[in-house]
Amino acid sequence: MNKIIVDFLEKALVSGYVSSVLVPSKGPDNTFPWTLVSDVSALTKAESVPPVMSVQGAKALASFTQSMTEGKLLAVMRPCEARAAVELSKLEQIDLNNIILLTMDCPGAVPLKEYRRNTGIEPDISITETIRPLCRQCTEFTSAGDLCLAMHGGLRAVLPLTPAGQELLDSLGMKAEPDTSAWNEWASSLRTEREAARTENRMSLKEAYSGLQGLTEVFSGCISCRSCRTVCPICYCRLCFIDMKDRRCPASSHLERSRSSGAARLTSDTLLFHIGRMAHMSLSCVSCGMCEDACPQDIPIGRLVSMVSAGTTDVFNYRAGSDPEDPLPLNTFKLEELHEYED
Amino acid sequence: MNTKTSVLVSESSIGDTLRDLLSKLLENGEVDSVFALRETMQKGRYCYSLISDPALITETLPFHPVMPVQGARALSNLTITEPLTRPVAALLRPCEIRAFVENVKQSQGSLENIFIISCTCPGVIPASKLLGEDREDVLANHDENIRNACRACIEFIPGAQADMTVLIASDEPHDGTVIYLNTERAVEIAGKLDSLSRETGKPAAELTSGILEARKNSLKDLMKDIPAPADGLQSLVSLFAACIGCRGCREACPLCSCVLCDYETARTLHSPELVRAEAKRKGSVRVPAGTLQFQLGRLMHISPSCTACGQCSDVCPVDIPVSDIFIRAANLVQESLDYAPGRDTDDTPPMATYVEKELLDITD
Repeated sequence: MNKIIVDFLEKALVSGYVSSVLVPSKGPDNTFPWTLVSDVSALTKAESVPPVMSVQGAKALASFTQSMTEGKLLAVMRPCEARAAVELSKLEQIDLNNIILLTMDCPGAVPLKEYRRNTGIEPDISITETIRPLCRQCTEFTSAGDLCLAMHGGLRAVLPLTPAGQELLDSLGMKAEPDTSAWNEWASSLRTEREAARTENRMSLKEAYSGLQGLTEVFSGCISCRSCRTVCPICYCRLCFIDMKDRRCPASSHLERSRSSGAARLTSDTLLFHIGRMAHMSLSCVSCGMCEDACPQDIPIGRLVSMVSAGTTDVFNYRAGSDPEDPLPLNTFKLEELHEYED
Repeated sequence: MNTKTSVLVSESSIGDTLRDLLSKLLENGEVDSVFALRETMQKGRYCYSLISDPALITETLPFHPVMPVQGARALSNLTITEPLTRPVAALLRPCEIRAFVENVKQSQGSLENIFIISCTCPGVIPASKLLGEDREDVLANHDENIRNACRACIEFIPGAQADMTVLIASDEPHDGTVIYLNTERAVEIAGKLDSLSRETGKPAAELTSGILEARKNSLKDLMKDIPAPADGLQSLVSLFAACIGCRGCREACPLCSCVLCDYETARTLHSPELVRAEAKRKGSVRVPAGTLQFQLGRLMHISPSCTACGQCSDVCPVDIPVSDIFIRAANLVQESLDYAPGRDTDDTPPMATYVEKELLDITD
């Protein structure tokens, strides 16, 4: 897969249609950092679908595209990363003008901590244990962005998904219009399998961690490191609500909490942080699983937020990352709405 | 020199003795609340708790070898807005006390009304090692499994802020419990505890001199083995190549108390124009930019006050030896600035202190 993508990137760069390319590359110590490439010679190190997701592609993209000036950029990333980029464009953190997103049939990613301890692991769709829990239940594993590299159903083709994608193919003289029916069948069949896995997993999650008691239990091990927040592409606030000075409680209030409950945990506000974060970002969650990779206490945070996100997006009939024109529900005023939730 | 010190002695285990002591303190109204470790609803997950109900003291695990959150960070959370007006007994390790003293100097907390019970610290085990089913084995092999920071810790006997010190790490194994009484308040409280007998004992330093030697050797190895700036930029790049920018190290660190970190401000974040210009100039550039800038920047800000607790390494999801790097730098920086973090709240932090003539040996 890597060779086909890198050849495509090279073609696009050499043709001058794009002036730079964003792709993961092989770095020191078995790492795969994102690299912004303007010189074709640097593509020899490109590893376009690495075994791990170390930084969410949309976060890497947002770090230098809040404004775009001259030159087009071709960015290759996983479908969930491209969908996060679409959400970030709605949040004014990425200017998608002059950015073309290329995705692929994603094989999933190896859990980051496991990979760091054993760099021999290769993600294998047929061996579910090699890929992250969230990847095992992912139904959006292909067909995102402006272009998608289809590698199943007998295909090895870059398919255009948007006019911007088509324009790039046209300018490179890539005219082929392959028969995508077998590929669609493959995707549909895998989607059904994954949906079943997801339903089952979510049922177990709900059973284990429902209600306030359940939430307290699942977050028992939380040490308030905030890594889940910092690696999340959607959490872009430099000063988070939980860190604001006016939120601090005086000692007397902690003591009062301790008196009324018998004991009060310190540091405080563990649940407040997670529930508040979900209230803020769950509508744009793309179930990428970066949070779960970063959690030092093995909390199934990605699966939890993904499940909550399914519920909250349902309320607004919203799909994160699918259409750049689809406005964010929280930013959209409607005079009449949500009557079914009122008395 | 008085080589004998006042101690409380009990035949019961350390856990039982301390649980008994803490219960009595609560029941007698000597303190309103106790700050100690408990196991949470999930096995292998622990938290610090402010406990007011004496019945819950039976659940505490005094000095269980884990540090889920740095004690100083928890106490800062408790006292940053205002000091405690009611007395609280707190079980803290030496490095947590030292970090909290640094917090107090920076107006991030207050020591008022906190009765500190510390210990000669044998070290803690990284929290991630206790998450699995093999946790009993890990706990049984304590010394093999402690943090690198603990292995090289030479300040495992608490300083003057500890009212009481429990003898845990000691050269000779000991049954029962020995508690040093360091302050008048400790002696006063001890007077009311009849289940414990008052004796004189050898100072803690004498009973742990072997451990100190071993720790000093480990520290020497750490100073030698960790890459130094003299090894060049490339070695630093490799060391931090795996960093994913999660900032867990910063959030876990008790000294990193800035509401908005320098490395999240608009003035330090690299502009899109700069990133793109660098990509053009060098042919390719890693993004997000600023990995080394954050790490080295934090190293520069924190090394004068680092108390070598090792919380940063615990939290790192990609096993970068952050604490080893910081401990190495801290040792060198603190020596050249002649500064001992956590020693005394009256010591002023070197970076905040103007001295007209200083560092003449390294300036022209």
